[in-house]
Amino acid sequence: MQILARQINVLDYALSSLWRRRMKNLSVLLVFTAVIFLVASFQMTTGALTRTAERVLENAPQITLQRMSAGRQVDIPPEYAARLSSIYGISRIVPRVWGYYFDEVTGANLTVMGLATDRMPMGDQLHLALASGSFPGPGSRGSVVLGRAVNDMVQARGSHLLSLFRNDLSMASFEISGVFADATDILTRDLVVMNIDDARDLFRIRGDRATDLCVYVTNPNEINTIARKIADLLPDTRVVTRPQILKTYRVVFGWRSGFGSICLLTALTAFIILAWDKASGLSQEEKREIAILKVLGWQTADILAVRFWESLLVSGISFLVGVTLAFIHVAFFDAALFRPIMVGWSVIFPPFHLVPEMTAQVVLLIFCLSVLPYLAATVIPAWHTASVPADSALSGA
Amino acid sequence: MIIECRNLKKTYVADGQAVTAVDDVNLSIAAGDFAIILGHSGSGKTTLLSMIGGLTTPDSGEVLVNGIENWHQSDARLTEMRNQTIGFIFQFASLIPTLTALENILLPLSFGNRKAASSRQARDILAQVGLKDRENAFPAQLSGGQQRRIAIARAFINQPAIILADEPTGDLDEDTEQEILAVFHEYHRQGTTFVVVTHNVHLADSQESPRILHMRKGVLSEENPARTRAA
Repeated sequence: MQILARQINVLDYALSSLWRRRMKNLSVLLVFTAVIFLVASFQMTTGALTRTAERVLENAPQITLQRMSAGRQVDIPPEYAARLSSIYGISRIVPRVWGYYFDEVTGANLTVMGLATDRMPMGDQLHLALASGSFPGPGSRGSVVLGRAVNDMVQARGSHLLSLFRNDLSMASFEISGVFADATDILTRDLVVMNIDDARDLFRIRGDRATDLCVYVTNPNEINTIARKIADLLPDTRVVTRPQILKTYRVVFGWRSGFGSICLLTALTAFIILAWDKASGLSQEEKREIAILKVLGWQTADILAVRFWESLLVSGISFLVGVTLAFIHVAFFDAALFRPIMVGWSVIFPPFHLVPEMTAQVVLLIFCLSVLPYLAATVIPAWHTASVPADSALSGA
Repeated sequence: MIIECRNLKKTYVADGQAVTAVDDVNLSIAAGDFAIILGHSGSGKTTLLSMIGGLTTPDSGEVLVNGIENWHQSDARLTEMRNQTIGFIFQFASLIPTLTALENILLPLSFGNRKAASSRQARDILAQVGLKDRENAFPAQLSGGQQRRIAIARAFINQPAIILADEPTGDLDEDTEQEILAVFHEYHRQGTTFVVVTHNVHLADSQESPRILHMRKGVLSEENPARTRAA
């Protein structure tokens, strides 16, 4: 009980000490909060982008096959799928139509995907990616699932149908059967998903052909081996694996985040060095205060404890406020400050909603990069502080 | 004996020269004594007081407070002894400028029996030193004499058995000095032991049965012990 009472007294003194030097501490708090906010925002934005990409790509085919001719992509005939059946380990081959549609009214480029959902291994789970509605079934022609931006565009026109022109300028109209969820924005915002036969009809692709073949394997550890076999068997195809796509996302986001983090960590380091310098170069007034406290019966441990609590309160509040602001910045403002740096590359459609990732690792990393160095930078020099000779108070030093 | 100094010695080095501040001092103070150590500036009075209070380590010799040698205890025990047994009155006011008068007085209680010794007790002592209405004033808002009185009040808050005072009335006007001496007299009457270093020879006249000691170039001598004890 005595130890507890002692700690309460130490905390009480630390709080009143913080309040007494409120302007100085408020300045430290603001600068520290700002630095933590920036570092945390960067970390959360990177995490959100990578995690979102991973989540969306969970349903992507393990291997995607595209036929190339003269360096350009061309349709794949059904014989290609038949030839792949000789490779052991492939569980399913599903044709897919993937193309782009330029909407002259809005100037937007839509991504159109035609799926045979009934033939996909997780076809019955696809609705989980939707905020509402369902995917068009195998026999269900004339309906589409839209990304949020496309849906907004259709709603803005006051229509419940998406009308697209075929190559011969005849019009194909589709009912909206579902809308993708926010969490998938990074890849679905500009997406229009329809029955594969509708997509063939829209792009005028022959009835038995596709733009891609989606290959699913029995053992996920064999993806790279099977991809290599496919490339050997069908040399005129481009083989893309899901791990490759994920790696591309990670590299791009990681590179950008790493660059930004280095800049911000430099700022954080400068702040910590400044804190160290300030804490180790005690003013005459602070030295005198410590000498008085020691004469009055405060132990060295008490003085260190006061400094520890002061630093923990300042850095802890900065940490909590900084991380909370970073979360708000990423979740509600879509990381507006870093958006131009982190996104805006050619593959990703720029306006999308971010869902921040608050993992224990991210929080712990930010804590270790901010609070711990600040505590060390202020408490360790307090050791020197506490060694001020107590008798200096007697002589008024 | 509540305080006992044996063969105390302390030498400083100033400008490359060794200066003996305290030279083989032997001193015994009984509980309830009011000892006044007179001497000029630089005679070693403050160093002696500092060694008695466990603030300065002697080069040689011993200081026993309540029979326990200061430097044979741990730093924690020594600090506790300073907190519980001794009240210090410094040569300068030594207040913490960012604390109010009342908060400064309560400082020694921070790790002691804060609940038992309440703010009311601090206010009573403030009233005794004539600053009842200044409890919320910061040191900068007080005169030098008022600051000194706050420091004196702080020394008494823990009801220590010993008061070590260094020039306690140094910059006080005559009326305030009399008030402070009256406070000393009252606490002395209740049994508190005082060791006061000063160059104010009139201080001795204000107390009953004081012991007068002289410090010259680090050497302590007592002025007719039998007479001063009986006076």
